[in-house]
Parts: sequence; C-alpha cells; structure tokens
Amino acid sequence: MLKNYRVLATLAAVAAVANVTVAGTAEARDQIRIVGSSTVYPFATVVAERFGRNTPYKTPVVESTGSGGGLKLFCAGVGERYPDIANASRRIKASEIKRCAQNGITDIIEVKVGYDGIVLANSRKAPLFDLSLRSIFLGLAKNVPAGDGTTKPNPYKTWNDVDASLPASRIEVLGPPPTSGTRDAFVELAMEGGCKTFNWIKAMKKKSKRAYKALCHTIREDGAFVEAGENDNLIVQKLGANPKALGIFGYSFLDQNTDRVQGSIINNRKPSFENIADGKYPVSRPLFLYVKKDHINLIPGIKGFLAEFTSNKAWGEDGYLVDKGLITMSSEERAIWNRKVKSLASVSM
Amino acid sequence: MTETMESKSRRMASLRKKRYRAERRFRRLGFAAVSVGLIFLTVLFGVVLISGFGAFKQTFIQLDIAVLQGSDNYQGMVKQALRDIFPEVKSRRHKRQLYALVSSGATYQLNARIEAEPDLSGKKISAWFPASDDVDMVIKGRIARDGPAELRRVTDQQLRWIERLENEGRIRTQFNWAFFTSGDSREPELAGIAVATLGTLLSLLVCLVLSFPLGVLTAVYLEEFAPRGRWTEFIEVNINNLAAVPSIVFGLLGLAVFLNVFNLPRSAPLVGGMVLALMTLPTIIIAGRVALNGVPPSVREAALAIGASPLQAVFHHVLPLAMPGVLTGTIIGTARALGESAPLLMIGMVAFVVDLPSTILSPATALPVQVFLWADSPERAFEERTAAAILVLLLLTILMNLAAVLLRKKYEIRW
Amino acid sequence: MSLCNEPPQLGGVDLGRRPMRSTPLRRVIAGRLVMGVLIACSTVAVLTTIGIVLSLVFESIQFFQIVPVSDFLFGMHWSPQTAIRTDQVGSSGAFGVIPLLAGTLLISAIALTVSGPVGLYAAIYLVEYARPSFRAVIKPLLEVLAGIPTVVYGFFAALFVAPLLRHGGETIGLDVSSESALAAGLVMGVMTIPFVSSITDDAITAVPSTLKEGALAMGATRSEMIRQVVLPAALPGIAGGMLLAVSRVIGETMIVVMAAGLTANLTLNPLEAVTTVTVQIVTMLTGDQQFDSAKTLSAFALGLLLFMVTLVLNVIAQRIVKKYREQYD
Repeated sequence: MLKNYRVLATLAAVAAVANVTVAGTAEARDQIRIVGSSTVYPFATVVAERFGRNTPYKTPVVESTGSGGGLKLFCAGVGERYPDIANASRRIKASEIKRCAQNGITDIIEVKVGYDGIVLANSRKAPLFDLSLRSIFLGLAKNVPAGDGTTKPNPYKTWNDVDASLPASRIEVLGPPPTSGTRDAFVELAMEGGCKTFNWIKAMKKKSKRAYKALCHTIREDGAFVEAGENDNLIVQKLGANPKALGIFGYSFLDQNTDRVQGSIINNRKPSFENIADGKYPVSRPLFLYVKKDHINLIPGIKGFLAEFTSNKAWGEDGYLVDKGLITMSSEERAIWNRKVKSLASVSM
Repeated sequence: MTETMESKSRRMASLRKKRYRAERRFRRLGFAAVSVGLIFLTVLFGVVLISGFGAFKQTFIQLDIAVLQGSDNYQGMVKQALRDIFPEVKSRRHKRQLYALVSSGATYQLNARIEAEPDLSGKKISAWFPASDDVDMVIKGRIARDGPAELRRVTDQQLRWIERLENEGRIRTQFNWAFFTSGDSREPELAGIAVATLGTLLSLLVCLVLSFPLGVLTAVYLEEFAPRGRWTEFIEVNINNLAAVPSIVFGLLGLAVFLNVFNLPRSAPLVGGMVLALMTLPTIIIAGRVALNGVPPSVREAALAIGASPLQAVFHHVLPLAMPGVLTGTIIGTARALGESAPLLMIGMVAFVVDLPSTILSPATALPVQVFLWADSPERAFEERTAAAILVLLLLTILMNLAAVLLRKKYEIRW
Repeated sequence: MSLCNEPPQLGGVDLGRRPMRSTPLRRVIAGRLVMGVLIACSTVAVLTTIGIVLSLVFESIQFFQIVPVSDFLFGMHWSPQTAIRTDQVGSSGAFGVIPLLAGTLLISAIALTVSGPVGLYAAIYLVEYARPSFRAVIKPLLEVLAGIPTVVYGFFAALFVAPLLRHGGETIGLDVSSESALAAGLVMGVMTIPFVSSITDDAITAVPSTLKEGALAMGATRSEMIRQVVLPAALPGIAGGMLLAVSRVIGETMIVVMAAGLTANLTLNPLEAVTTVTVQIVTMLTGDQQFDSAKTLSAFALGLLLFMVTLVLNVIAQRIVKKYREQYD
C-alpha cells in the first residue's frame, strides 16, 4: 500500500538533493578560463595543455565560442565569474572596448599571436589552380566590371570564362558564411585585392568608399559560392568527395591534409609556411589574445600562461605552435610583442 | 440480384484472392519498412566501426633511457635516448625530425614514473612510450608509405627511421588505455574521452533526476486529474510546443536564466543537465500521457469501486501499468539528451578540458561535444579518434536502450 | 525549478510516514498536498516557455529596431552579408525570412515522407505480424536510430549520403548540389523513424483487443482489421508521434548544418542546397562578428519566430487530435 507513495517520496527527495547542490556556490576559481575564436582555439589549447603539464597550475579551460561571442563574455565584467582571456581572429573593436569599459574592464592587454593563412584548395585528383587575385574576384564577386566603367551581374560559369589559362571546370567554391572571420579576411584580402587591380575601381575608392566596398566585398549568391559552415575538416572531406570544387579554409588544415588537397597558387605564390610568414602569400590575417589585467592578481597563473605563450619554444620559429600550423611573426615583431606582454601594456585604439 | 450461386462464389473467390494479395502486400510493406531502418543502421555502424576501430590501438616506441641522477630534464633524457638509437643524426633539422617520432607525452610519462620510483635514478631503464600521431598513422597505414614525400606529413628520412625501429622490434601497437583514462589533449596520441564521458554521465544524471519525476507527475496530473479548461489546455499547448522548440533555443534559455540570472558556472555538467532536463521533459510527458491513456478505464473503475481514492487508483494501479510506456518516452528523451550538442554550445561546454570534473559544478565537456570538437581538429589522427568517440557514444546509447528494454519487457502488458 | 521541488519533498515525506488507513481528514489533506505537487510540476512547462520568450524577446526587439518587422517576415531575400566590423562597408544585407522558412519546410517534408510511412508500417508490422522474439530484438534496434547523436548523422549525411546522391544524379543526368536538401531530409527522415514507430506502437497496442478480435471475427483479414479498425482508433496517438517527429525535424540543427549548407535559396527543388532557420541561428551565434550587430541579433528574432511558428502549428494540431480523441474515447 505504502510502496507507491514511497516511490513518490524518493523521487521528491532526489529532486530536493539536486536543488541543494544548486545552492552550494562554487569555490574560488583556481583555473584560467579562456573563450573565443575557433581559429585560435587549436593554438591556445596546445599552450594551455603544456602550461598545465609543466606548472603546478591547473590546465586552463579553453572554450570555442567565436570571436564575437568570446569578446562579449570577456567584456561582461571583472571577477571570477567572467573569463580571463579572449581569443580573437580579428582585432578588438572600439565598440567592444567601450563595452568592456562600461563593465569596469579598463585595462586589456593585447597579444598578437601570429598569422593564419587562408587557402583556396581543391582535391589532388583535379588539376592545380594557378589563380590571381583578379581572377578570384571575377570568379566570385556578385557584380563584375562590364568593361565601360559599369558593372554587370557576374556572368561567369566556368573558371576558363574568367581566365583562359584556368581549367574549364564549373565555378564551385565551398567557403565560410558571412559570420566568419575567415570569410571576412578572405573578402578583404583576396576579393578586394583583386578588385582594386581595376584602375577605375581603385579610383572609385576615393570618390565613394561605400560603393567601392559594396562592389569589392560582395560575394555572388547564385550558387557558385556555397556557404559550407565553419568546420574546415568537413570542407576538406567534401573536396575529396567532389573534385570539381574549390574550398576556402585555414592553412593548418591544408598542412595536415597535403595528401588529399592542394593549395592553389595565388599571385604566383604557393600557400607555404615561408610564403605566408614573410607576407608574400597575399591572404593571411593576424590572430590575437586579449587578457584582463585585473584578473592577473585574481586568478593564479595568468602571467605564467602568457609567458608560456610568448616563449620561443611555443611561438618561435621552431616552436610547437608551428607544428600545429600557426604562422609565426618575424623575430623582430615577436620581440615587440614580447616587450608589450612583459610590461603588461594596455591596448589603446 | 439474379446472380447464380456459382458466379457469386466465383466472384467471392476472386475477391478473397484479392484481399489475400492485399494482405500479403501489406505485410511485405511492413517488413520492408523495418528493413529500411535496419539497413541504414547497419551501414552507419559499419562506416563508423571501420573508421574508428583503429583508435583503440596505439603505437608505442621502446626507448632505453639513462636516468640522470638529480636531473629533472626529462625531455633531454628522451631526446638522448633517441640519439643513442640513431647516433648518425647530426644536423639540427634532422634531430628535430627525429624527436618528432616520439610523443611529447613521453616526457611527462617519464617524469611521473621517476617520481613514483625514485630509486630508478642513475639507472638505465627500457620503457615503451607513445609514438607521435604521425608515426601512429604510418604504422596503421592511414598515411601511405609510398608516393612522393611532399604528399605526406612524414619525410622519407622519418620513414626510414620508422622502418629501422620496426626491424629492431622497438615499435609495437597495444591497447590504447589512455583513450579511456585521459582528458582532452591537442596531441591525438594523448587525447582521451574520460572528461567527456564523465561530463556526459553527470549531466545525464542531473537531467534524469530532474526530468523523470517532473515529467511523470505532470503526465499524471494532465491525464488523470486536470480539469478540462483553459488553464489545462494552455499547459498542454505549452508542453507540445516545448517538444518542438529547437534544442539551441533551450541553450539560449540556459544561458539567460541559469548562467546570467542564477549565476551558475559556465561549462558545468549541472547546467548542462538542467538544460537537457527541460528539453527532455516534454518527451517524457507526452509519452507518459499516451501510456496512461492506454490503460483501460476498467482498471481505474475497479480500483475506485473497491474504495480506493482517485489518487490511490492512479498511483497504485494505473501508473504502474503505464510504466512501460513512460519508460519508452524516457529512453527516447534521454537518448536525445545523450547525443545533444547544440544547447551545450551556448552554456560553454564546447571547451578544452583536461582535468577530470570532481563535482557537477566543475568544468567538463560532453561526449557529443567532444566529437564535434575533434571533428574540427586539423590533425589526421583525430579522424579515427572522432569515430572512436562516436563508437563509445553509440555503445552508451545501446546500453541504455538495452537496460530499458529489459525493464520494459518484464512489465509490458498488451490489452 | 525550486518552485516545484519544495512541495513534493514535504508532501512526499509526509505521505510516506502516514499509513493511508488514517482519518478521512488526513487523507483529504494528503490528497490536496499531492494534488498541489502535481499542479506545481505541470507549471514547470509554462515557466520554461516564459523563460524562453523572455530570453528571446529583448534581443529581438533590438533587432527589429534595425530591421523592420515587415522586411523580416515578408522579405524574399536572406543575405546577411553585412560588415563584421564598423569600419567595413559590406553590402546592405537582407534579412527576409521566407527563404529560410521554405528551406525548413522542404527538408521537413522530405523527412516526413520517409519517416511517416516507414515508421507507421514498421510499427504495424512489429505489433501485428512479427513474432514476439523478432519484435523483442528489432524494436530496440530501431529505437537506437533515435539515440544516434545528430552530429553523427550530420557527418553521415554530408560524407556518405550526399556524395552518393550526387553521383547517382550524375549518372542519370541530374545536377545534384553537393549539399542538397534531399540528403539532409532523407537522413533526418531515418532519424525520426523511431519517433513515429515507437509512439505508433504504443498507440496501436493501446487499442482494446476486443475491437481487434471483433473485426477478425467478422472475417476481416489482418490488414483490413488494421486499416479499418486499429488505425482509426489509434489515430490520436499516431498523430502525436508524427507531431513529435515534425517538431524534431524542424528544430534539428547539426544535420542541416553539415549536409544542407547555408545558402538561402528560395526553391522547392530537393536537389538544390537550401538552408533552415536553425542553421542560421547557430551560424549567427557562433560567428566572429560583433555580438550586438544585426547579424547576431537576427538569431534571436529567428528563434522567436521559430517558437511562434511551432506554437501555432501545435495549437492547430492539438485541435485535430482532440477531435479524434472525443470520437473514440
């Protein structure tokens, strides 16, 4: 008779236990928390792991939230509840600094970590592409120059429509969505780079910056450019399954998959480590860390973590970050940033 | 009307034939439907199994290490051991390539071992250390040994070293315990699913503890006691609607309410479990109601007739009889929660966590999230680890299903 | 949560200690307490809904200050190519939701054409035809389909089904996009088979055996009995199962993210790439853009819209179910 009520009572008690646990507050945090860009994630995690193993501190927890989401969390406030470090695949914006300041975060240390090359690659089963920025622009822009100072909707269907030296395959490029920093960098560096090779467009920049950017930055939407999400591995695998397509993704994925995909030559430069590091390969972007200065005395180990990140065995030319695909800065640039980190100088804009 | 008996029976016979044909067709359709599901399941498992099986084995390299007295330069000792095997390697570039054969985890393992056995100091020990992910891939044949060198991540020189190590018997593969005992790592050969599995189990525990009683009691109320009216209808609409709300929206809710209002920590299995509980709730309620509805009214009436209160009738008689159905709903709901990653994305569980969670408030990740993270890692060796993590996830699902099936089988009633 | 957890503790323990053979008054009080607990539990769903609406509505209002509601609801063009940083000028960006809804509907329709009949027939076969031993093994196996994480389905759809469809299409001269709606829809359909079959199973089992035996005694074949007696009686339950499947498909994210892509096409051709509302929510929220840009905010507006749409669908569906239920109760 009583049995079923007892079941009910047990269920209720269990639920109450869960409630009690909720009430118990978290003890002081002794673990660095990092949030931000999925591009910096592979590098920040390696450093975190090494830092955790080589020091008495706990291994930092690194979250992959995207640069925007990461900086939002970062700027939400000072205290244990908020992350200590934000990764970004772009520089922090003035508006984000303002938001931080509103929440009491006035001192942010900026650390430039290195570069990420963006490659246009295709399956090894297909011929290698030798592209110029101009042909990338003509192949992928929504509107292209019509010849007499006007523009027309992109008429090109195959790559050899754009440039007779290119293969006659259909234009089909798998790339990141407009919300992605990779896409942003690709548009600014590759598309705009090709766009301004037209002198009249370049001249337009002075007259109407808006019209210039609208023309140069808009990617076609008729199916030739396929927004394929942020998972670069998936793009690599899709390229393997579809040899006719090109894909846009980070250099580290090319580096790991050289047997499957080949990076197209852009402006006569192969996407190799050396070419990206010395800036000859035209499509690469800087990566950043942002550190909350107020947290250095709050959470143990932040200084040590920064020291690990900026040590030569990490980001140096032979460092382990290079093995993971990071394109390092020149030794002079590294020295500059090293000094900045050592002096804990705040970012200014 | 003036049909003869004969023609009528002939007509009936042909009709009967037709009806039997329809019957067979119907039956075959049913069988085909079952087969479609099973075939798909088999193919999916096959694909995952083939691509993930390799990760349960790991390549190890044997090194003879001279433990220097009073030194803690374990990395140096490992490097020295490699140089001892290949004394001819002189150039800096080649040395780097040589050191890259052994995992960076070797240093830590050596460190741990010497700390555990201090009397090894000053002696020469022979031990097996994990090979780097590239060597592992070569040994498992996932990086082809032939073909031009620029197409692989392993240089010709490294291949020759690997072959020599193989010939000297210094390379072997053995079961990959580390995969089950360690947390995430950026070195594939050291990466494991312990944190993710524990995180998933903790989250599911929280989820079940919250959603099962809530779900069952709500189903009982709505099906058995609730007066038909606006309020009840409102609740019903709410529940059905919640079942349709995309999981990512539950993540947004968790972010807004549990993290920002209740100030619970990010990446905690507790928050994950709470979000999953809210998500699972409608499934349990809906299935629970169907099951309660399926108990014949006669059971209820009989109980009431011998003097049971309505509560007693429901809790002593109807609910126990409906339990198999309730359990079905709970299985489906929990299975969904087990594989869910989108809401966990919003509450910070897409994270790199190395240390095992000690409470439901410490940072952890979950198995499906681990799959998601590894799937996005550039290193080749993570491919098979992703598939292996999927295998573990599937195994957990099947275990859960099996347990529930046995439970249900014991109690299933067909009216 | 706490709203519901406090009372059951009191009520449950209280009841556990006192035998039910107590005075009628106590029994009444205990009954009231339990009833209170039950009502409190049922309000959790309402609280959740309120929580969801609240967490969506503020950001949505911000979004609608940038983009007019009418442009959002009736725009035929979705192209959030706005600038990520303020010093950039991208194209203006269009936030018309119609192509997203069309994509969602297309994929849902494909999924349902798979899971509807397959789930229904599978359930019928397992309940009415299969040997008990067969059923005991196969039913849980089918249920595994629902438990497979969607990430796994996503990979399977993107790397196995989609290329298969593409090659298949090429051999018969069709141009299939590598991220076709068909691939995502098919896989999603398979995923939801157990949703339909499990609930249908329970609904069929719940049909009183007297009804079935009556039909058989009248000389009906098994299939006639099922089609003409069992199915109509079990319809509310089946409809519930289908609803679960539909809701799961509309809200499904990972599969479409991986297999259906992000290109907003306004098309009914299942061989083309489409995008769905959920995909856009994920993309917008995990991107690198500034968090209070129109792009990010649009995710909340999309969430709210999705929430409204499912609400309306559910109210309609529930009316239908109710009508049948009254008929056969």
